[in-house]
Amino acid sequence: MQARVTAIIVARNGAAHLQRTLEALRGQTRQPDTVVAVDCGSTDASAELLAAYGPTHFISADASLSFGDAIKTAVRVLPDPEGDHELLWLLAQDSAPETRALQKLVAELEIAPSVAVAGPKVMEWIADDYIHDFGLSMTPYGSTVTLVESELDQEQHDALSDVLAVSAGGMLVRRTVWDLLGGFDSALPVVDDSLDFCVRVRLAGFRVSVVSAARVSSAGDGVAGPDGSSRGRTSRRRVRAERSAALHRRLVYAPTWALAVHWLSLVPLAFLRSIIDLLRKEPGSIIGEFAAAFSAAFLGSKVRQARRKLAATRTLGWSSISSLRVSAAEVRRRHALTREAALTGARGDRPEIRFFSRGGAWTLLGAVVVGVVVFAPFLGAQALSGGGLLPLSDSVGALWANVGYGWRDIGLGFVGGADPFAVVLAILGTLTFWSPSFAMVLLYLLALPLAAFGAWMASTRLTHRGSIRATAAVLWMLSPTFLTALATGRPAAILVHLLLPWLFFAGIAAARSWSASGSAALLFAAIVACAPSLAPALLIIWLLCVFASGRRVMRFVGIPLPALALALPLIWDQVLRANWLALLADPGVPVPTSPVPVWQMILGFPAGDLGGWPQLLPLWGGTATAADLMVPLLLVPLAVLALVSLLLPGARGAASALIGALLGLGTAIGASSLSLAAVGDQSVTIWPGAGLSLYWLGIVGAVVFAARGLHKVAVAPLVAAALALAVVSLPLAAALPLGTAAVQETLGRTQPAFVTAEALVTPRVGTLQIVPQPDGGILATIVRGAGERLDAQSTLSSTATGTTDEQAELATLAGNLASQSGLDASAELARFGIRFVLLRPAAQTPTEWGAAGAVTTAATQTSTRTTTSLDGTAALVPVGDTAFGRLWRSDAQTDVAVNGAIPADAGGVVGLLTTIVAVLVIGATVLLSIPTGAGREAVYQAHRDAIRRASRMSKPVKPTKVRRSSRAPRVPRSERPGAKSKTKAGTRTTADAKPTPQPTSKPGAPEPGAPTAPEPTAGPDRQAPGVTTAPARTDSTEDTDNGH
Amino acid sequence: MVTKRRVALVGARMTAGLAGIVVVVVAVGGAALAPWPAVVSEPEATLVTPVASDQTQVCPGPLLTLAADSSQADVATSVSRFDTVYGARAAGTGGAVVDVTRSDLAAVENAESARDGAPQLLTVPAGAAAQAAALVNGAQSQNAASETLGGLATSACTAADSDSWLVGGSTDVGRTSLVLLSNPSTVVATVDLTVYGETGQVDAPGSTGILVQPGTQRIISLAGLAPNLLSPVVHVQATGGQVAAALQQSVISGIQPGGAELLGPTTDAATEQVIPGVVVTPPGAEVSVDEGAVSEDTPTVRVLVPGDAPATVSVGVQSEDGASAGTSLEVVIQPGLATEIPLSGIAPGNYTVSLAGDQPLVAAALTTVTGTATRDFTWASAAAAQADEFLVYIAPGPAPALHLANTSDVDSVLTLTADGGAVTTLTVPAGQSVVTGVTESIAYLVTGGEGIAASVGYSGDGLASSYTVSPIGALVQAIPVYPR
Repeated sequence: MQARVTAIIVARNGAAHLQRTLEALRGQTRQPDTVVAVDCGSTDASAELLAAYGPTHFISADASLSFGDAIKTAVRVLPDPEGDHELLWLLAQDSAPETRALQKLVAELEIAPSVAVAGPKVMEWIADDYIHDFGLSMTPYGSTVTLVESELDQEQHDALSDVLAVSAGGMLVRRTVWDLLGGFDSALPVVDDSLDFCVRVRLAGFRVSVVSAARVSSAGDGVAGPDGSSRGRTSRRRVRAERSAALHRRLVYAPTWALAVHWLSLVPLAFLRSIIDLLRKEPGSIIGEFAAAFSAAFLGSKVRQARRKLAATRTLGWSSISSLRVSAAEVRRRHALTREAALTGARGDRPEIRFFSRGGAWTLLGAVVVGVVVFAPFLGAQALSGGGLLPLSDSVGALWANVGYGWRDIGLGFVGGADPFAVVLAILGTLTFWSPSFAMVLLYLLALPLAAFGAWMASTRLTHRGSIRATAAVLWMLSPTFLTALATGRPAAILVHLLLPWLFFAGIAAARSWSASGSAALLFAAIVACAPSLAPALLIIWLLCVFASGRRVMRFVGIPLPALALALPLIWDQVLRANWLALLADPGVPVPTSPVPVWQMILGFPAGDLGGWPQLLPLWGGTATAADLMVPLLLVPLAVLALVSLLLPGARGAASALIGALLGLGTAIGASSLSLAAVGDQSVTIWPGAGLSLYWLGIVGAVVFAARGLHKVAVAPLVAAALALAVVSLPLAAALPLGTAAVQETLGRTQPAFVTAEALVTPRVGTLQIVPQPDGGILATIVRGAGERLDAQSTLSSTATGTTDEQAELATLAGNLASQSGLDASAELARFGIRFVLLRPAAQTPTEWGAAGAVTTAATQTSTRTTTSLDGTAALVPVGDTAFGRLWRSDAQTDVAVNGAIPADAGGVVGLLTTIVAVLVIGATVLLSIPTGAGREAVYQAHRDAIRRASRMSKPVKPTKVRRSSRAPRVPRSERPGAKSKTKAGTRTTADAKPTPQPTSKPGAPEPGAPTAPEPTAGPDRQAPGVTTAPARTDSTEDTDNGH
Repeated sequence: MVTKRRVALVGARMTAGLAGIVVVVVAVGGAALAPWPAVVSEPEATLVTPVASDQTQVCPGPLLTLAADSSQADVATSVSRFDTVYGARAAGTGGAVVDVTRSDLAAVENAESARDGAPQLLTVPAGAAAQAAALVNGAQSQNAASETLGGLATSACTAADSDSWLVGGSTDVGRTSLVLLSNPSTVVATVDLTVYGETGQVDAPGSTGILVQPGTQRIISLAGLAPNLLSPVVHVQATGGQVAAALQQSVISGIQPGGAELLGPTTDAATEQVIPGVVVTPPGAEVSVDEGAVSEDTPTVRVLVPGDAPATVSVGVQSEDGASAGTSLEVVIQPGLATEIPLSGIAPGNYTVSLAGDQPLVAAALTTVTGTATRDFTWASAAAAQADEFLVYIAPGPAPALHLANTSDVDSVLTLTADGGAVTTLTVPAGQSVVTGVTESIAYLVTGGEGIAASVGYSGDGLASSYTVSPIGALVQAIPVYPR
């Protein structure tokens, strides 16, 4: 009997594509006998277009109707089927069939009565020489596989006929079979609807085949099949739908006995897959992963319905379709291809570093030599002290015990949040787990090489010229603020200086790589942990990046999250105290400094005194005041280079660099006027050096831009600037040999040996340390055990205001001990668990650079007074003078297990919660930052982007039906989406130029050949460094297409 | 066309670049010049007032003479008895009397202590509930007129200390200087004496490790440690127990006694020192010196800079009698050298000498008096400023006067309440001094005494002496304690 075809066309706001589809329908050599048009609540011209076509039936339906339900609605208006010759042709608004498509499809069903479903070869809408999809199948485990996808059609797959399934758009299906099986499963609204249907067709004893001669173009509008758009929201929704569909089918197809196992595995699998999603750099899929798992787990009625329907129509066993599934070997092959494509994408991300050929190794070698020369006295040291340095805790366990919310073992001890810096120290100490304090020695020995290496690597983002990179490394390594931090023993500021270039390095790439975004987030957290004062400036830069990042905004939004998670316990406490500003206080040992004039900071000296020249010049027979002239003059070349960069090509990048510099300077000035902490009677200002590091980063960045713009002319000014800086930094670099450095080698003790020995027996033995203060008062603190540790310091303690009752009692005891008093000290000493009293040398008031601090008369008198009183206290026995001060011993019996023990579970619920949050956030960020290449989704999107681009290039005006005659040149498909702008930048129009988010405010700088690439007239090989990388990237165009 | 556009582009870039440079320079320059507000979180301290303990003071005991017995040339013996006045008042009560226990210290080196009396130990037990220490004061006086020793010597009873300075004495021919070390505590005190002279620190064997047993007084002859010093300054440092140090100086001119004085410790080294009660008397008739030369009778100030940097010291001499007379001079004093600064050309009267240096220093002033028959001299030590109300006992002696110097920068209104109820009100303008006559052998409770340095002076015919009124001991003053 003659076949009778009912074409059902479904449209939902598809006017843009509907026109072509309807025209194609009209042009069919075999016209459908009936046309049913279903308009799913379109708000555009779709309904008019459909009506104008003149369908047999026109149905206006709800917008929420899925494709399957729309078809069902349409079938309902048709008269009952009269036999197997009645066929349904399922079309969506964007299913434009070629003229002979229906004829070929109908022929297939007419020739073979056993075939119930025939599918066309679905082509790309805009590039119709590319296959959109051609046949569907499943893996042995039930995952969906598109047999041919995003591939150039060279008729290489035309031999394909019997398949497990075909996609919905353009499918021709026997009406009887459709009715028998009840159409598409309404639990699969978007994804896998046709796959599931075809599987049921197969299991009902019919065949499904593809007809390569029938071609239908599809635009991926999301009416039939998922929306193919690469926009974040749509693609996240698609991923979720895919996962939901997979889980639904798994529960439907599973044998009854396996249902429980599958059900129980839903949520654990979601966790596992989330980790994999992070590693695949698809953090956006995680929410969908869990949503799908939970909805599959708790919306069981749909599964029951579907299982019943399947059981009712199934006539064959599952084994009957096993030959049509994709074999395990084929699945592995496909995975391997995807992985390769992903890795290529990851490689494409890497900037052109050429560490060895561009002189990076020589720069590093030079820095190592300078570092060894400067810090030679520390070779063989076990621990460092002085300035802000103290030994770390003795074991890795103790280091990590000082992290998070819990007992802060400083002074009398209290429950509170640790500084995020403790985490940084714990990580450093874990690296040298055999002796955590050695980490600080290592930090000093490696500081200069690490700084040079970091700056060299960061400059690879800006320039390919080895000489400029080397200069940047030298300028960064010899920065006065860095050398001052080293000389004055400020580990946090040293770390900030070492990490800032890497933040720049990672932040630049964050726009196009999740891995770089994760790394940037971790570096951001580490830097803010080391110098909370930098947080405002970094957040401003981050905000600028977020606003500039356009559709890649998600890769920037999360960057401050790990820092926030780390600081959560501290924020909790300071908010409770209503002491917001104190969050900016420097972590570590509070070190009072003398005020620094702003002009010294502008010159880059955070401790003032021009780095010690006024002290050094008289030794060489000069006058101290000459330094005031000499040092600024020597810094002039650097300043001029930085400013000139604004006049040269690349001025936009340079401007961003200088904005960063100004933010850094503002941070430094602001920091030096904030005294948030106190030690004894001295207020402690925030160290301006961290801000100056950012300032210096901006200046060095601007100098690099200037050097780039000056081409060959740059060498002389660069060398002059670097040499002048070397001279300026001489007294700072030589602080250790000159004896002006505060840092010194130590044996790792911070208490007299007598106390340390006692601490071995009684770990919580208490020592009352009394430090006479410049105003004549005393600072009295209890130190438990072997002594103070750097990782146990807490800004909560140093910025606290007010005095607790316990502190007041201790103060009363100490005040009476320091006076001629009638107080019975022994009872009080025992109550606080104090076995020793240590009178330390009087606190010094900070003076000029390099000179020892001054001790006031009042402090000396207090020292004498306290000695006299302690000598006269009956409860104390003098032990003698030690390297740490004068020591007395109390023989009063005290149970230090009771007095001074750390309470169990001090952190409580807050501690647990904040720890979980921090571990989750940091863990996720670490997973994200591991460079594993792009995920499948990214590879898929890259293919689609490549196709779209190819079509656009071949059809510059508008998509007309120009066929293979004007085929686009082969284009890399393995490219990652973000890497788009790397190829053929020059030929692209601005319309498709992606926004180039600049993480650390250096627009145009990192993106080689990006729209901001300077000087289009210059030769690509010598001008814009990025452009030279373009050929390197196109090397990665090896064909990794699926299905080859 | 192309070149035109290029020119335009380059021009635009230059303009924008120059604007950027201006912005950067203005921003940086503005940052350097702008006044930046500062947020300072002030450190907080707990002011701890020590729990009151037993207060002890030591009166140094009778004047001693060496070699009264030629067979025992280095044995000191006392010549006559001395008088002591003492007492205590509860602080802040307006004069409630507190009991004082008096006991004797063992003066084993004075053969005649049984006859003339021993050094006195005054003890004020800590009150049960009393938080603030009681005001306790005592003084002694002795008018000696023996063959070898003559003159008026008065001294305040002082608290023991571990670190004190004795500025005075001489071991020149005819001068005898004895260091009296009294240990009122219950533990042995080990005392190190550091003697500075006009040529610097004296290397004196036997000056260190002097053991002073609890409850005893040791008498050390300064000449034995450092002979032939014109202007010694002795630094007394005690470890273990604390000692009350005093220095007795006596002079014999020919065979006539030329005066005697007992001087207590001066204040600790500081950049500012105030010596109230420097009494300048008319020079003796027989004294005639060359114009411009420094007479032995010229008032002098002895200064020592104990540090290691030279000090520029300005010496101000200010009248206590309301006269405008006063001089000021500036001298540079080398560290470690006991230096005498003569105060020439000052009219007779009462003066306060103030010293202000750029390095810490210790100081005392020496004045002489020539009477019709006898001569005497007096050492006026620097006095520390009082913290609040204070008690002063006036030892017996001729024409006692209370010298009050206001070291603060606000006018002080003092109320002197004598035993028996007589109330005197005095105003001491900021930075000025007054002198007021007082009655011997009674006590005065002075209120409103913050910033007042006080001393008691005597002057009779050929007799002179003075002692300072020490504020409550530094060791019992409230101390700020910082918890972090």
